[in-house]
Amino acid sequence: MKLTPIFAASMLALGLAAPASASEGERIQITGEIIDTWCYFSGVMGGPDAVVGSAHHTCALWCSAGGIPVGLLGEDGEVYMVLKIEGDDQNASGDTNLNLASHEITADGMLYKRDGLNYLVVEKVVTDHGITNLNHEDYGVVPGFAIPEPKK
Amino acid sequence: MTRIIALALIAASPVYAADFSEGSSAKSWNLYAEAPALFEAKVVDITCEVTGDCPDNCGDGDRQLGLLRAADDVLVFPNKNAQSGFQGATVDLLPFCGKQVDVDGLLIEDEDIQGATNIYLVQKVREVGSEDWVKANTWSKAWAAKYPEAKGKGPWFRRDPRVNAHLAETGHFGLGLEKDAELIKELFE
Repeated sequence: MKLTPIFAASMLALGLAAPASASEGERIQITGEIIDTWCYFSGVMGGPDAVVGSAHHTCALWCSAGGIPVGLLGEDGEVYMVLKIEGDDQNASGDTNLNLASHEITADGMLYKRDGLNYLVVEKVVTDHGITNLNHEDYGVVPGFAIPEPKK
Repeated sequence: MTRIIALALIAASPVYAADFSEGSSAKSWNLYAEAPALFEAKVVDITCEVTGDCPDNCGDGDRQLGLLRAADDVLVFPNKNAQSGFQGATVDLLPFCGKQVDVDGLLIEDEDIQGATNIYLVQKVREVGSEDWVKANTWSKAWAAKYPEAKGKGPWFRRDPRVNAHLAETGHFGLGLEKDAELIKELFE
Protein backbone atom coordinates (compact mmCIF):
# COMPACT_ATOMS: atom_id res chain seq x y z
CA MET A 1 0.00 0.00 0.00
CA LYS A 2 1.37 3.42 -0.98
CA LEU A 3 0.99 6.13 1.62
CA THR A 4 0.04 9.54 0.29
CA PRO A 5 0.75 12.47 2.61
CA ILE A 6 -2.97 13.05 3.16
CA PHE A 7 -3.65 9.37 3.88
CA ALA A 8 -0.61 9.13 6.14
CA ALA A 9 -1.77 12.21 8.03
CA SER A 10 -5.22 10.67 8.37
CA MET A 11 -3.75 7.46 9.71
CA LEU A 12 -1.67 9.40 12.21
CA ALA A 13 -4.73 11.33 13.28
CA LEU A 14 -6.56 8.08 13.84
CA GLY A 15 -3.61 6.63 15.70
CA LEU A 16 -3.25 3.79 13.22
CA ALA A 17 0.34 4.28 12.09
CA ALA A 18 1.94 3.67 15.45
CA PRO A 19 0.95 2.40 18.86
CA ALA A 20 -0.78 4.99 20.99
CA SER A 21 1.81 4.34 23.66
CA ALA A 22 4.82 5.28 21.48
CA SER A 23 6.37 8.44 22.82
CA GLU A 24 8.88 11.06 21.86
CA GLY A 25 12.35 10.33 23.09
CA GLU A 26 14.81 12.50 24.92
CA ARG A 27 18.20 13.16 23.37
CA ILE A 28 21.09 11.92 25.46
CA GLN A 29 24.78 11.16 25.18
CA ILE A 30 25.92 8.29 27.32
CA THR A 31 28.98 6.15 27.85
CA GLY A 32 28.78 2.53 28.87
CA GLU A 33 29.38 -1.11 28.03
CA ILE A 34 27.37 -3.22 25.60
CA ILE A 35 26.23 -6.17 27.74
CA ASP A 36 24.01 -9.21 27.46
CA THR A 37 21.00 -8.37 29.54
CA TRP A 38 19.77 -11.85 30.48
CA CYS A 39 22.91 -12.79 32.37
CA TYR A 40 22.98 -9.34 33.96
CA PHE A 41 19.36 -9.20 35.09
CA SER A 42 18.82 -12.85 35.99
CA GLY A 43 21.99 -13.52 37.95
CA VAL A 44 22.13 -16.91 36.26
CA MET A 45 25.93 -16.83 36.11
CA GLY A 46 26.79 -14.71 39.10
CA GLY A 47 26.60 -11.15 40.30
CA PRO A 48 26.44 -8.09 38.03
CA ASP A 49 30.16 -7.35 38.27
CA ALA A 50 31.06 -10.82 36.97
CA VAL A 51 28.81 -10.95 33.90
CA VAL A 52 30.33 -7.99 32.08
CA GLY A 53 33.74 -7.09 30.68
CA SER A 54 36.55 -9.28 29.44
CA ALA A 55 35.67 -12.12 31.84
CA HIS A 56 32.29 -12.53 30.20
CA HIS A 57 33.20 -11.65 26.62
CA THR A 58 32.74 -15.10 25.10
CA CYS A 59 29.36 -15.49 26.79
CA ALA A 60 28.37 -11.99 25.62
CA LEU A 61 29.10 -13.12 22.05
CA TRP A 62 27.05 -16.29 22.53
CA CYS A 63 24.11 -14.39 23.97
CA SER A 64 24.16 -11.68 21.31
CA ALA A 65 24.33 -14.27 18.53
CA GLY A 66 21.57 -16.21 20.25
CA GLY A 67 19.23 -13.26 20.18
CA ILE A 68 19.41 -12.29 23.84
CA PRO A 69 18.74 -8.54 23.96
CA VAL A 70 21.77 -6.34 24.42
CA GLY A 71 21.86 -3.30 26.62
CA LEU A 72 24.20 -0.45 27.32
CA LEU A 73 25.27 -0.48 30.98
CA GLY A 74 25.79 3.19 31.63
CA GLU A 75 28.28 4.75 33.99
CA ASP A 76 25.23 5.70 36.05
CA GLY A 77 24.51 2.01 36.67
CA GLU A 78 21.36 2.06 34.56
CA VAL A 79 20.80 -0.45 31.76
CA TYR A 80 19.59 0.96 28.45
CA MET A 81 18.00 -1.68 26.22
CA VAL A 82 19.40 -1.07 22.74
CA LEU A 83 16.76 -0.83 20.00
CA LYS A 84 18.89 0.44 17.11
CA ILE A 85 22.49 1.33 16.42
CA GLU A 86 23.21 3.81 13.63
CA GLY A 87 20.07 2.82 11.75
CA ASP A 88 20.49 -0.93 12.20
CA ASP A 89 17.25 -2.15 13.80
CA GLN A 90 18.32 -5.80 13.98
CA ASN A 91 18.29 -5.92 17.76
CA ALA A 92 17.73 -9.68 17.89
CA SER A 93 21.01 -11.36 16.90
CA GLY A 94 22.13 -8.60 14.54
CA ASP A 95 25.74 -8.11 13.41
CA THR A 96 26.16 -4.58 14.78
CA ASN A 97 25.24 -5.71 18.29
CA LEU A 98 27.51 -8.73 18.00
CA ASN A 99 30.48 -6.66 16.82
CA LEU A 100 30.18 -4.38 19.87
CA ALA A 101 29.83 -7.12 22.51
CA SER A 102 31.62 -6.04 25.71
CA HIS A 103 32.83 -2.80 24.13
CA GLU A 104 32.60 0.48 25.96
CA ILE A 105 31.02 3.03 23.68
CA THR A 106 29.96 6.63 23.86
CA ALA A 107 26.58 6.84 22.21
CA ASP A 108 24.48 9.75 21.09
CA GLY A 109 20.81 9.03 20.60
CA MET A 110 17.28 9.02 21.88
CA LEU A 111 16.16 7.69 25.24
CA TYR A 112 12.70 6.28 25.84
CA LYS A 113 11.31 5.02 29.14
CA ARG A 114 8.56 2.47 29.55
CA ASP A 115 7.41 0.45 32.55
CA GLY A 116 10.64 0.68 34.48
CA LEU A 117 12.96 -0.05 31.55
CA ASN A 118 15.14 2.36 29.56
CA TYR A 119 15.24 2.01 25.78
CA LEU A 120 17.92 3.54 23.60
CA VAL A 121 18.07 4.32 19.90
CA VAL A 122 21.75 4.96 19.23
CA GLU A 123 21.93 7.41 16.37
CA LYS A 124 25.70 7.63 16.44
CA VAL A 125 28.47 5.72 18.13
CA VAL A 126 30.60 8.74 18.94
CA THR A 127 33.52 6.64 20.18
CA ASP A 128 34.12 2.91 20.35
CA HIS A 129 36.59 2.53 23.21
CA GLY A 130 36.89 -1.26 22.76
CA ILE A 131 36.92 -3.60 25.75
CA THR A 132 37.98 -1.54 28.75
CA ASN A 133 36.58 -3.51 31.67
CA LEU A 134 39.40 -5.97 32.35
CA ASN A 135 37.54 -7.86 35.03
CA HIS A 136 39.15 -11.19 34.05
CA GLU A 137 41.81 -10.07 36.54
CA ASP A 138 39.20 -10.60 39.27
CA TYR A 139 36.87 -13.22 37.85
CA GLY A 140 38.89 -15.24 35.33
CA VAL A 141 36.37 -16.44 32.78
CA VAL A 142 32.60 -16.44 33.38
CA PRO A 143 31.17 -19.01 32.92
CA GLY A 144 34.10 -21.31 33.46
CA PHE A 145 33.19 -23.51 30.53
CA ALA A 146 33.39 -20.59 28.09
CA ILE A 147 36.97 -21.60 27.33
CA PRO A 148 37.47 -25.29 26.68
CA GLU A 149 40.55 -26.79 28.28
CA PRO A 150 43.29 -26.88 25.64
CA LYS A 151 44.02 -30.34 24.25
CA LYS A 152 47.46 -31.63 25.25
CA MET B 1 -15.27 -1.07 34.06
CA THR B 2 -13.96 -3.65 36.53
CA ARG B 3 -10.60 -3.64 34.73
CA ILE B 4 -10.42 0.17 34.87
CA ILE B 5 -11.16 0.16 38.59
CA ALA B 6 -8.55 -2.56 39.12
CA LEU B 7 -5.96 -0.56 37.19
CA ALA B 8 -6.81 2.57 39.17
CA LEU B 9 -6.39 0.67 42.43
CA ILE B 10 -3.06 -0.72 41.25
CA ALA B 11 -1.86 2.75 40.24
CA ALA B 12 -2.90 4.18 43.59
CA SER B 13 -1.11 1.47 45.54
CA PRO B 14 2.16 2.75 47.06
CA VAL B 15 3.95 -0.56 46.70
CA TYR B 16 2.95 -2.72 43.76
CA ALA B 17 4.42 -6.16 43.27
CA ALA B 18 2.53 -7.87 40.48
CA ASP B 19 1.72 -11.52 41.18
CA PHE B 20 0.85 -13.60 38.16
CA SER B 21 1.68 -16.97 39.68
CA GLU B 22 -1.88 -18.29 39.80
CA GLY B 23 -2.27 -21.25 37.47
CA SER B 24 1.35 -21.14 36.33
CA SER B 25 3.17 -24.42 35.78
CA ALA B 26 6.49 -22.76 34.97
CA LYS B 27 9.60 -24.73 35.88
CA SER B 28 12.01 -23.06 38.28
CA TRP B 29 15.50 -22.12 37.11
CA ASN B 30 16.51 -21.46 40.70
CA LEU B 31 17.15 -17.81 39.92
CA TYR B 32 17.32 -15.45 42.88
CA ALA B 33 14.52 -13.16 41.76
CA GLU B 34 12.33 -15.43 39.64
CA ALA B 35 8.59 -15.83 40.08
CA PRO B 36 6.30 -18.08 38.05
CA ALA B 37 4.03 -15.98 35.87
CA LEU B 38 1.11 -16.92 33.65
CA PHE B 39 -0.62 -14.04 31.90
CA GLU B 40 -2.42 -12.90 28.79
CA ALA B 41 -0.63 -10.47 26.52
CA LYS B 42 -0.35 -9.15 22.99
CA VAL B 43 2.88 -9.99 21.15
CA VAL B 44 4.40 -6.73 19.90
CA ASP B 45 7.55 -5.41 18.25
CA ILE B 46 9.22 -3.56 21.12
CA THR B 47 10.89 -0.97 18.87
CA CYS B 48 7.52 -0.24 17.29
CA GLU B 49 5.77 -0.08 20.64
CA VAL B 50 8.31 2.29 22.14
CA THR B 51 9.32 4.52 19.21
CA GLY B 52 6.49 4.18 16.67
CA ASP B 53 8.76 2.73 13.94
CA CYS B 54 6.70 -0.24 12.80
CA PRO B 55 7.72 -2.55 9.93
CA ASP B 56 5.59 -5.48 8.79
CA ASN B 57 5.35 -8.68 10.82
CA CYS B 58 7.03 -7.28 13.94
CA GLY B 59 10.34 -6.94 12.07
CA ASP B 60 10.22 -10.48 10.68
CA GLY B 61 12.53 -11.94 13.32
CA ASP B 62 15.13 -9.17 13.33
CA ARG B 63 13.65 -7.34 16.30
CA GLN B 64 13.04 -8.13 19.94
CA LEU B 65 9.41 -8.90 20.68
CA GLY B 66 7.54 -7.86 23.78
CA LEU B 67 4.47 -8.89 25.70
CA LEU B 68 1.91 -6.17 26.29
CA ARG B 69 0.22 -7.58 29.38
CA ALA B 70 -3.58 -7.48 29.22
CA ALA B 71 -4.14 -7.04 32.95
CA ASP B 72 -2.23 -3.79 33.37
CA ASP B 73 -0.91 -2.71 29.92
CA VAL B 74 2.69 -3.21 31.10
CA LEU B 75 5.27 -3.95 28.39
CA VAL B 76 7.09 -7.09 29.56
CA PHE B 77 10.46 -7.86 27.93
CA PRO B 78 11.02 -11.58 27.21
CA ASN B 79 14.81 -11.83 27.34
CA LYS B 80 14.98 -15.60 27.19
CA ASN B 81 13.26 -18.64 25.77
CA ALA B 82 12.86 -22.01 27.50
CA GLN B 83 16.04 -23.64 26.26
CA SER B 84 19.08 -23.92 28.48
CA GLY B 85 21.88 -21.95 26.89
CA PHE B 86 21.98 -18.57 25.27
CA GLN B 87 18.85 -18.11 23.19
CA GLY B 88 16.42 -15.22 23.15
CA ALA B 89 12.67 -15.44 22.65
CA THR B 90 12.07 -13.75 19.29
CA VAL B 91 12.04 -16.93 17.20
CA ASP B 92 9.46 -18.52 19.50
CA LEU B 93 7.19 -15.48 19.68
CA LEU B 94 7.30 -14.35 16.04
CA PRO B 95 4.51 -16.72 14.89
CA PHE B 96 2.26 -14.91 17.36
CA CYS B 97 3.07 -11.34 16.19
CA GLY B 98 0.08 -9.08 16.84
CA LYS B 99 -1.92 -11.85 18.50
CA GLN B 100 -3.33 -12.17 21.98
CA VAL B 101 -1.59 -15.03 23.72
CA ASP B 102 -1.24 -16.72 27.05
CA VAL B 103 2.34 -17.15 28.17
CA ASP B 104 3.80 -19.11 31.05
CA GLY B 105 7.29 -18.65 32.38
CA LEU B 106 9.41 -16.82 34.93
CA LEU B 107 9.21 -13.13 35.72
CA ILE B 108 12.35 -11.42 37.01
CA GLU B 109 11.90 -8.59 39.48
CA ASP B 110 15.13 -7.89 41.32
CA GLU B 111 15.25 -4.76 43.44
CA ASP B 112 18.98 -5.25 44.01
CA ILE B 113 19.83 -4.87 40.31
CA GLN B 114 19.06 -1.51 38.75
CA GLY B 115 16.50 -1.94 35.98
CA ALA B 116 15.76 -5.62 36.57
CA THR B 117 12.02 -5.28 36.23
CA ASN B 118 9.45 -6.75 33.84
CA ILE B 119 12.07 -9.17 32.48
CA TYR B 120 10.69 -12.54 31.44
CA LEU B 121 11.76 -16.06 30.52
CA VAL B 122 9.02 -17.53 28.35
CA GLN B 123 8.57 -21.28 28.61
CA LYS B 124 5.38 -21.84 26.64
CA VAL B 125 2.89 -19.84 24.61
CA ARG B 126 -0.54 -20.35 23.08
CA GLU B 127 -3.01 -18.16 21.24
CA VAL B 128 -5.85 -17.07 23.51
CA GLY B 129 -8.68 -19.57 23.15
CA SER B 130 -6.41 -22.43 22.14
CA GLU B 131 -5.95 -25.43 24.38
CA ASP B 132 -2.57 -26.29 22.91
CA TRP B 133 0.58 -24.85 24.40
CA VAL B 134 3.66 -24.45 22.22
CA LYS B 135 6.99 -24.87 24.00
CA ALA B 136 9.34 -21.91 23.53
CA ASN B 137 12.24 -24.06 22.47
CA THR B 138 12.50 -23.63 18.72
CA TRP B 139 15.57 -21.40 18.48
CA SER B 140 18.16 -24.13 18.01
CA LYS B 141 16.21 -25.77 15.20
CA ALA B 142 15.95 -22.41 13.41
CA TRP B 143 19.69 -21.84 13.90
CA ALA B 144 20.51 -25.28 12.47
CA ALA B 145 18.41 -24.53 9.39
CA LYS B 146 20.20 -21.19 8.94
CA TYR B 147 23.70 -22.63 9.32
CA PRO B 148 23.68 -26.12 7.77
CA GLU B 149 27.44 -25.86 7.21
CA ALA B 150 27.92 -25.68 10.98
CA LYS B 151 26.40 -29.10 11.59
CA GLY B 152 28.38 -31.14 14.09
CA LYS B 153 28.72 -32.36 17.65
CA GLY B 154 28.26 -30.18 20.68
CA PRO B 155 26.10 -27.16 21.42
CA TRP B 156 25.36 -24.58 18.73
CA PHE B 157 27.32 -21.83 20.42
CA ARG B 158 30.58 -23.75 19.97
CA ARG B 159 29.85 -24.05 16.25
CA ASP B 160 28.32 -20.67 15.45
CA PRO B 161 30.23 -19.20 12.46
CA ARG B 162 29.84 -15.56 13.52
CA VAL B 163 30.93 -16.21 17.11
CA ASN B 164 33.86 -18.33 16.01
CA ALA B 165 34.99 -15.62 13.59
CA HIS B 166 35.14 -13.18 16.51
CA LEU B 167 36.99 -15.64 18.72
CA ALA B 168 39.48 -16.34 15.93
CA GLU B 169 40.14 -12.63 15.52
CA THR B 170 40.27 -11.29 19.09
CA GLY B 171 40.15 -14.34 21.37
CA HIS B 172 37.91 -15.46 24.23
CA PHE B 173 38.58 -12.35 26.30
CA GLY B 174 38.34 -10.04 23.29
CA LEU B 175 41.79 -8.62 23.99
CA GLY B 176 43.71 -10.02 21.03
CA LEU B 177 45.14 -13.45 20.30
CA GLU B 178 48.50 -12.89 21.99
CA LYS B 179 46.91 -11.77 25.27
CA ASP B 180 44.34 -14.55 24.96
CA ALA B 181 47.00 -17.25 24.70
CA GLU B 182 48.77 -15.82 27.73
CA LEU B 183 45.59 -15.76 29.83
CA ILE B 184 44.48 -19.22 28.77
CA LYS B 185 47.89 -20.59 29.70
CA GLU B 186 47.56 -19.03 33.16
CA LEU B 187 43.99 -20.30 33.49
CA PHE B 188 44.80 -23.93 32.87
CA GLU B 189 48.22 -24.17 34.53
